[in-house]
Amino acid sequence: MTPAETNAAPDTQWPRWEVFKQDAEGKPHQAVGSVHAADAEHALLMARSVHARRPAAVSLWVAPADAVHAVTAEQLATDPETPAPFGAGARRFLVFRKTSHRRSMTFVEHVGAVTAAGPEGAVAAARETYPEPPALAWWVVPADRVTASPEAEVAAWFEPAGTKTYKQQSEYGTLAAGHRKGGRR
Amino acid sequence: MTLSPELRAALVERLTAMADDELVLGHRDSEWTGHAPILEEDIALANIAQDEIGHALLWLEARRELDGSDPDALAYRRSAGAWRNARLLELPKGDWAFTMLRQFLFDVFETELLARLQASACASVAEAAAKAAKEEVFHLRHSGLWLRRLAGGTEESATRLRSAMDRAWPYLPQLWQPLAGDAALTEAGILPDMAEVGAAALERVRAALTGSGLEPPEVPPNPGGRDRHGEDLVALLIDMQSVARADPEATAW
Amino acid sequence: MPPEAGRSVEDEERLEAFEARIAGGEKIEPGDWMPEAYRRQLVRMISQHAHSEIVGMLPEGAWITRAPSLRRKLILIAKVQDEAGHGQYLYHAAETLGVPREELIDALLEGRAKYSSVFNYPTLTWADVGMIGWLVDGAAIRNQLMLAQCSYGPYSRAMVRICAEETFHHKQGKEMVLLYARGSASQRAMAQDALERWWWPSLMMLGPHDSDSPNTPQLARWGIKTKTNDQVRREYVDEHVPELQGAGLTVPDPVLRFDEASGHWVHGTIDWGEFWRVVKGNGPVNAERLAARRSAHEEGRWVREAMAAYAARATGAAS
Repeated sequence: MTPAETNAAPDTQWPRWEVFKQDAEGKPHQAVGSVHAADAEHALLMARSVHARRPAAVSLWVAPADAVHAVTAEQLATDPETPAPFGAGARRFLVFRKTSHRRSMTFVEHVGAVTAAGPEGAVAAARETYPEPPALAWWVVPADRVTASPEAEVAAWFEPAGTKTYKQQSEYGTLAAGHRKGGRR
Repeated sequence: MTLSPELRAALVERLTAMADDELVLGHRDSEWTGHAPILEEDIALANIAQDEIGHALLWLEARRELDGSDPDALAYRRSAGAWRNARLLELPKGDWAFTMLRQFLFDVFETELLARLQASACASVAEAAAKAAKEEVFHLRHSGLWLRRLAGGTEESATRLRSAMDRAWPYLPQLWQPLAGDAALTEAGILPDMAEVGAAALERVRAALTGSGLEPPEVPPNPGGRDRHGEDLVALLIDMQSVARADPEATAW
Repeated sequence: MPPEAGRSVEDEERLEAFEARIAGGEKIEPGDWMPEAYRRQLVRMISQHAHSEIVGMLPEGAWITRAPSLRRKLILIAKVQDEAGHGQYLYHAAETLGVPREELIDALLEGRAKYSSVFNYPTLTWADVGMIGWLVDGAAIRNQLMLAQCSYGPYSRAMVRICAEETFHHKQGKEMVLLYARGSASQRAMAQDALERWWWPSLMMLGPHDSDSPNTPQLARWGIKTKTNDQVRREYVDEHVPELQGAGLTVPDPVLRFDEASGHWVHGTIDWGEFWRVVKGNGPVNAERLAARRSAHEEGRWVREAMAAYAARATGAAS
C-alpha cells in the first residue's frame, strides 16, 4: 500500500509535553526534552520511559507544550512583552530559567513560582523576583497545568534503571584487542 | 534454607515455570521493537521486555543455586516440550490490543503472585520477588492505562480489545494452575497457594474489564498443564535459538 | 538568499550580531533571531539525523529475537531502544525550529527525506550486530562529539546526551567482535565476513570528500560543523585500523598502509559511485527499510486515533 493509497485523514503524533526531571532530592527540576502523548497520565509514563531509562531521577513533571510560555533574553531585548494588567485574575506560575551558555544536557531549570494575571506578567514578575544571575531564557507554566510523578512510587519508577548496568558504558571496562581488562564477563 | 530432595525438585520446577513465562513474554514484547504505533511506546515496551528478561534471570539464578544449571543452556538448548511457560504467553503478539491485554492479564497475575512471594520462607526467592515486584508496579500502570484507553477510544479500538479478550480468555486460568510439586512448596511456606493467587487475580481482572465496559466470559475449566504447548512455541524457539544452536563449538557469545 | 529591498542594512546588522554571538560561544535558543538559511540547514541536518536513528533500529532490531545469549539479548534491546530514544531527542530538536513531528515523519515515509545510507545495507549474520556497534557507532560518535559543540542549543543538548549513551553501543560491539575473532572457527569466519561488508560503508558514512561538500564552510562559521568530513574520517581510520588488526582481523583494503611521515593510516579509494547510488535510494535494502517503517506507521494508525479520541472525550467531559 503506497502512502497515497492510505487513509486520507491526517496522522496524529499526539500533542507535545515538556518534561522536567529532578535528578536527586534537593536539586531543581530541569527541562530534559519532550514526549508526545495523548494525556497527562500517559505523558508521565512516556517521560519515565524516554527520559529516565538511565539513572538518576527521583521525580518527573510534565506540562503541555502549549501551556509553556518561553522567551529568551535576546527576544526581550528586541521585542519587550506587554503584561496583562494585574487584577484581571491571578494564577500561580512555575518559573524556569537558563543562566549559562555552558554545554549541557538540560535547558531551563526550576527556580520558583510567581503569581500573575498571564504569562507575560509572570515573566515580568520572574525577572523582578529572580534578577540574579541574569537569565538567558525564561519559561513560565501555570502550576495547575503541571503534573508530577507519584511520590509514593519513587522506588518503582526510578530505582529499576539503576539495575540495568549492561547499558552503562562503564560496565565494559577497558577493551584492548587481544586482552580484556576489567568489566564484567 | 535446607531443602529435602523433593522440595528442591519442586522448587526447581516452579522457578523454571516462572522464568519461562518471563522469557517467552519478554521475547514476544521485544518483537515490537522498531514497529510500535509511536516512538515513545516503542521505547516503553522495550523497557518492559528488558524487565521481563531480567526477571527470568532472577528466577534462573535462583534455580542455579539449587541445581547448578546454566540459564543460557536452559534458554537456548531446550526444545518446546521441555518448556514450562503458560500458553497465553507464547501466542503471537497480534495487534496492539492483544499485546496490551495479554500484558495486563499477566501483570495482574504477577502482581498478586509476587506480593505473596515476598513472604517466602526461602530468602533468595523472597528477595527476587521483591525486586521483580518493584518493576511490576510500572508494568501494571502501563497496561492498565492501555486497557482503559482502548476500551474508551474508538469503535475500532473497542472491537479489537473485545477480540483480544475472546482470544486470550481461555488461556487465563492456566497462569495460576498449580504444578505437581506446588502443594508441598505451599506447605513449606515457600510458595503461596496458587488457587488463592488466581482467585485474587481473576477478581481484579474482572473488575478492571467491567469497569472499562467489557463483559468478560465465564472462566473455562481444565486449561491443561504447562507441559503442553502449541506450534507457536516451536516457531518462537527456532527463531530464538537459531544462532546459538548453529555453532555447537562456540563456548561464549 | 538576496536581502529584501529596504531591509538589507538591518538584516546585515542582525546577521553580524548573530555571528558575533556564536563566535563568543553563546548558544542560540528557540525564539532567538536566526538567519533563515541557518534554520533551514539545521532542520535539514537534524531531521536527517533523526531519521537515521529511526531507520537504524531496523538492521539490528531484526536480530533481537535471535540474540544467542540472554545478556546479548538485553544489551541489543537496550541499544535499539536507545536509537529510538535518540530519534526522539532529535525530532524534539527539529520541532523547536517549528516543524511538527507529523511533517517530519511524513517526509521520511514518503521517501522525500534523506537518512544515513549506511543503514541501507542488510545485516546478514549475528556478527554484523557487533561490527555495526564497533564501526558504525564508532563513526557516529566522532560526528556526535563534534556536533555537541553546535551553536543551536537544542541540537547541542541532544548531541551531548546521545554521546553519553552511544559509548555503550560502541563498547558492546567491540566486545562482541573481539570475542568472536578469538572464538570458534565459525565465529572467526563470521567476524571477518562482517568486517568485509561493513568497513567501506562505515568510511562512507562520514560523508563525501571535502571537495564534494559545499555546505561545510558556512556550517563552520555558524558553529554547526567544526571539522571537515575528511578530517573526521582520518581520525576514525587511525583509531580503528590498529584495533581491528590487533584483533586478528584483515581490513578489506589491499592499499591500506601506515605512513610514517604523516603518522596516519592511508586507505584506498572509496567507491563514491556506490555511495551516491545508495544515497539516491538504490542501495541493497532502501525499499525494505521504508516499507517496514510505513507498515509500522499504518498498523499503528488506529492506535494513535483511539488515544486521541479518548483524550478529546475526556477534555470535553472536563470542560
